[in-house]
Amino acid sequence: MRALLILCALAAPAAAQSFDPIAEVLLHPRCANCHVGADGIPLWSTEAGGTQPHGYHMQGGESRMGIETLPCSTCHTNRNGVLEGSAPGAEGWALPPVEMQWAARTPAQICEQLKDPDRNGGRTLAEVADHVGHDPLVLWGWTPGPGLEPAPGTPEETVAAILAWADAGAPCP
Amino acid sequence: MKLTVDGTTHDLDVEPDMPLLWLLRDELRIHGPKYGCGIDACGACTVHLDGLAVRSCQITAQEVEGAEVTTIEGLGTPDAPHPVQQAWIDEQVAQCGYCQSGQVMQAASLLALNPAPTDAEIDAAMSGNLCRCASYPRIRAAIRRAIQSEGA
Repeated sequence: MRALLILCALAAPAAAQSFDPIAEVLLHPRCANCHVGADGIPLWSTEAGGTQPHGYHMQGGESRMGIETLPCSTCHTNRNGVLEGSAPGAEGWALPPVEMQWAARTPAQICEQLKDPDRNGGRTLAEVADHVGHDPLVLWGWTPGPGLEPAPGTPEETVAAILAWADAGAPCP
Repeated sequence: MKLTVDGTTHDLDVEPDMPLLWLLRDELRIHGPKYGCGIDACGACTVHLDGLAVRSCQITAQEVEGAEVTTIEGLGTPDAPHPVQQAWIDEQVAQCGYCQSGQVMQAASLLALNPAPTDAEIDAAMSGNLCRCASYPRIRAAIRRAIQSEGA
C-alpha cells in the first residue's frame, strides 16, 4: 500500500503536465471529425464507435467551406439545429486548415503539430490555449447540440491542461 | 418583422423561432418549398436566402429579418422560366416531383456560384438533395442543358 501511495504521489504532477488529457479532447470525434486531411471530407461518428465519411458526398474542398461544390452554410448555420439529427452549427462553420489534420493521427504526431507554428496557425502555446478558450468553432465541441456527445471535460479544463503542459516544457508522448 | 419573398415585401407577425418553411407555407401560402425531413437531411425545402441556397426548415423567422428570400415560385414565371426550370421541363426531370422544387433551387444556386461545373462538381453540389424516384441522371442532364442554354 505504501508503495502504491508513493507511486500515486509521483504520478500526480506528471499527469497534470501530460499531453494525454489534451489528446483525449483533440482526438474526440467532436474535434477530430472536422480536423481531416487534404481530401477535405468531414467525418461522421457511427453508432458502432467508428467513423464514416460525412453523408451526401460532402467535400470541404480547398476552401474548406465547400465553396467549390456545396457550401457548408447550405445546411450548417451559426447555431445548432434544435432537433436530434439536424445539422449542428456555429459561427464560422468550416473545416480547419489542412495542416491541422488530427484525424487518423497519433497523440505523438498531434503533439508535435500543436507546437509547430507552421501547423498550428502561427500560434504560441499560450495563444493555442487562448484559441481553445475563445474560438466559437472550437467551443462548439463542448456544446454540439442534441444527440451529439460533447468533447470531454470543459473548455476551461482543456485550457488549463494546455497551459500546464506548456509550463512543463510541452513534452510529447 | 419585414421579409421580402419573391420580390414582395411582407410585414409579418410570427413567432421568432418559426421555421422559414412554416412561414412560407402557412403564413404566405407559398407551397412550392416542400417539407421532407425537417432536419436538413433531404433538401426538399431549399430556397435562396440572399441569393444562396439554404434549407428553409432550419432557418428561423428571426434569422431572416430584412432578408430577401426566393422560392421556386419566384425563380421564374410560366412565360419566362429560369434557364434551370426550362431545362427541367425539356428533360422532363420530375417523376413524383416532390423533391424537385428543392432540386431546381439547388441547381440554380450552383450555377450562380459556378456557371460551368464539371459532372463531378454537379454531383457533389446536388448530393444533399435526395430523390426517392432516383431522377439523378435527368437532374444532371438538365443542369448540363441549362449550362448550354446560358452559353457557359
